[in-house]
Amino acid sequence: MGLHAYLFLAAVVFSIGLFGVITRRNTIGILLGVELMLNAVNINLVAFSRFHGQTAGMILTVFAIAITVAEVALGLALVILLFRTRRTAIADQIDWLKG
Amino acid sequence: MTLEVFAFWAFAVVLVGSALAVVLSKNLFHSVLWLALALTGTAGVFLLLDAEFLAAVQILLYAGGVVTVVVFAIVVTERLVGTRLSQTNRHVVRGAVFAGTVLTLIITWIRRAPHPVRPDLGDADVTRAIGSTLLTQHVLAFELLAVLLLVAMIGASYYARPEE
Amino acid sequence: MSARPDSLVLVALLAPAAVFVLLAVVAPLRRSGRLAALISIAGALTALGAAILAWRNLGEDIDVFRHVWAWLPQHEGVLATVGVLADTYSVKMLVLVSLVATLVQVYSLGYLSDEPPAALGRYYMYQSLFAFSMMGLVLAPNFLQLFICWELVGLCSYLLIGFWYRKASAARAAVKAFWTTKAGDVGLLIGIVLLWRMTGTFDFAELEVWAGSQQAGIAGISLIAFCLYLGAAGKSAQFPLHIWLPDAMEGPTPVSALIHAATMVTAGVYLLTRTAFLFELAPDVMTLVAWVGAGTALMAAILACAQDDIKRVLAYSTVSQLGYMMAAIGAGFANAGFLHLLTHGVFKALLFLGAGAVIHAVHTNDITRMGRLAKSMPQTAVVFIIGTLSLAGVPLFAGFLSKEEILGAVLAGGLTVPFVMLAVAAFLTAFYMFRVVFLTFFGTADAGPKGPAYEEPVHARGHHPHDAPAVMTIPLWILALLSMAIGILFMFHHEEPQFESPVWLTPAAVGVGLAGIGLAWLTFQRRSIDGDRLASAMGPLRTAAHAGFWIDDAFLFVYRSVLLVFSRTIGWIDRYVVDGIVNVMSAWTVMGGGRLRRMQTGRVQDYVFGVAVGVVALLIWLGGVK
Repeated sequence: MGLHAYLFLAAVVFSIGLFGVITRRNTIGILLGVELMLNAVNINLVAFSRFHGQTAGMILTVFAIAITVAEVALGLALVILLFRTRRTAIADQIDWLKG
Repeated sequence: MTLEVFAFWAFAVVLVGSALAVVLSKNLFHSVLWLALALTGTAGVFLLLDAEFLAAVQILLYAGGVVTVVVFAIVVTERLVGTRLSQTNRHVVRGAVFAGTVLTLIITWIRRAPHPVRPDLGDADVTRAIGSTLLTQHVLAFELLAVLLLVAMIGASYYARPEE
Repeated sequence: MSARPDSLVLVALLAPAAVFVLLAVVAPLRRSGRLAALISIAGALTALGAAILAWRNLGEDIDVFRHVWAWLPQHEGVLATVGVLADTYSVKMLVLVSLVATLVQVYSLGYLSDEPPAALGRYYMYQSLFAFSMMGLVLAPNFLQLFICWELVGLCSYLLIGFWYRKASAARAAVKAFWTTKAGDVGLLIGIVLLWRMTGTFDFAELEVWAGSQQAGIAGISLIAFCLYLGAAGKSAQFPLHIWLPDAMEGPTPVSALIHAATMVTAGVYLLTRTAFLFELAPDVMTLVAWVGAGTALMAAILACAQDDIKRVLAYSTVSQLGYMMAAIGAGFANAGFLHLLTHGVFKALLFLGAGAVIHAVHTNDITRMGRLAKSMPQTAVVFIIGTLSLAGVPLFAGFLSKEEILGAVLAGGLTVPFVMLAVAAFLTAFYMFRVVFLTFFGTADAGPKGPAYEEPVHARGHHPHDAPAVMTIPLWILALLSMAIGILFMFHHEEPQFESPVWLTPAAVGVGLAGIGLAWLTFQRRSIDGDRLASAMGPLRTAAHAGFWIDDAFLFVYRSVLLVFSRTIGWIDRYVVDGIVNVMSAWTVMGGGRLRRMQTGRVQDYVFGVAVGVVALLIWLGGVK
């Protein structure tokens, strides 16, 4: 399969993830959408790396995965904290930064 | 059709299908499970791209670690709330239109790019190459990454500490 | 001493300035009252001594001495200088100013003896400031310094007229004086600036040189001359800017003697004398000056006949005499006007101080309530009569020669109608002044037309009026003797005027004066002519005179209908247009802010959406570029 096939695949997953981020009501649901987007990026990176015969992209992917894991952990910790104090995980109700 | 093409399409269908399920499912728990499947699909794509190491990392960390953490979080919040977490979507139309626009744009962009040929790796050991480059050229970033993980761990445990 | 006159006049100028600064800065000294007074008098005496010495040292051949310092620099050379100019005009004027200032300050010690010390100190501080400002004006070598001192003099006039500031009428009078002279000052300033634009200099000496090289009637000079004249008209109380002078009598009488008889009001006359070389280039303005002067003289003389307040009579008399001086200048003979300025300064100050002595004794200004004071206040009566004779232009007294010279000058200038006006005014001057004399100091036992004459003079607190204490009578005698001395001196030794007078002028001048005295004697002393019937015979003139020819009312009308309306319109524009624009801007800002803040929902997803939109836009733009 050519490079473009992998890129198209990644694009589709990315937009699905974007859709999820924009529309999901639950905070954790938003996080899941973000996960999908990050995955799509990783697929992109590896595909480019493979098709140019270099390992740089794959190394970047390693880093990306590691950082994503850290981010998820922190994000969920925040969600739990949010939940404890405000008793809600509905993103619509988290609007205390309202201008 | 070759094995490779068939495998690609198989993994692609799994991936896209489970991704759709993640964002459209009403039950949050089900979303997480579909995410696990999507992550596994990604691992398969990595395999197709001769990145075995990454496929393993993907399964280990993502499908194993992240999903677990998310499940725990859901369980904890459900316990706090006392009810099943369900969710619906809002502004579906807006989101769909927008996501569709982004998709169209990216695809248009991609189509303008040249078609490189997949180089033949021969007997090259990708994992070894990744490993040696990571620990020589990018060792500083590697160490920093370790620090970052430490910091994240501390931060997460601080945020999620029990109430006093 | 043979010091140079310019150094001497500098001493004369700076002595009262130093006193003013001292009294202004050292408050306890000022509040001590009598000590401040003595310091101020010492300063004035120093000035007087220096002025007299300077006059003596003024040589025959070199009679102009200047000393200036560069003040405002400009690109090449100096824009303005500051300093002193000592020539025959300024030195003589300086002697007059310092003499009257000293005598008035001594006199005030007695007149204001009832004032609290703090107020007395304030009074003397103002007096010193006034002395300095007036001398600065007289000694100014250029228009700029003259104007600055001009304004300072106006300020001092305001401060001194409104000295009893708690009295509402005094405060109003002070403001009226300031306002009216300010109207003239605007003209003066415009004239100075226009003149500078035309010639490039403020300096009198340079302007005189320039004027010598010009023809009469060059473009723009008439306007400049007129503007300068406006300033003089304001300060010297020419019609219609004379309205402030009678009201200025609210101030203490010594102030009236100093400022509104001898010095400040003469600043206008002095200005025209100083800049006569400019006015010669504008003959039409000169004619205007003469006509307005003569008209003012006549009008004020008529108004003086209708006054019952002794100070107001003297005030209108001053206006009238200023008109005389202006008429002479307008006729082209400034020296005649200047001479009358000097003599008038002496005897008008004398009259005011004498009136002050009377007021101090009987505690009223109303002459109809006085009478027979000659018996109880002989000294005052004598000096007052000496002053009145000078004013009426009787030979052997100071005013005779200067008045006759003015009449001759006006006639020689070819202005016959003004001459007639001045002659009638001379008749009336003698008449109303002797009316005052007869009603105040003399009086018969019969009831007069203006109400019952008192058998005994009016007195307060149960004691009879008497001559003032020495501190007040000595200045009076000095002025009286000076009046007579000048009069006699001029009989035998005076400069020949620059014009020829007809032979009948002197007898005519004396004749109208004596006729006026005669009529007053008949009406108010002998009571052969009924004053009331005489007045009603004048008919509408009497009504007009009592109403001050309605000039005050005219000003009030203009103020209400023009100025207030204009200011209300401007106020409306300011509130609704100017402020309105600003308010509309701010209202739009607030409204816009209110609409824009709806973007800040506080929800993360909306922000993400915003970011995504931006990214898409960026992609489209970049994609298009590619």
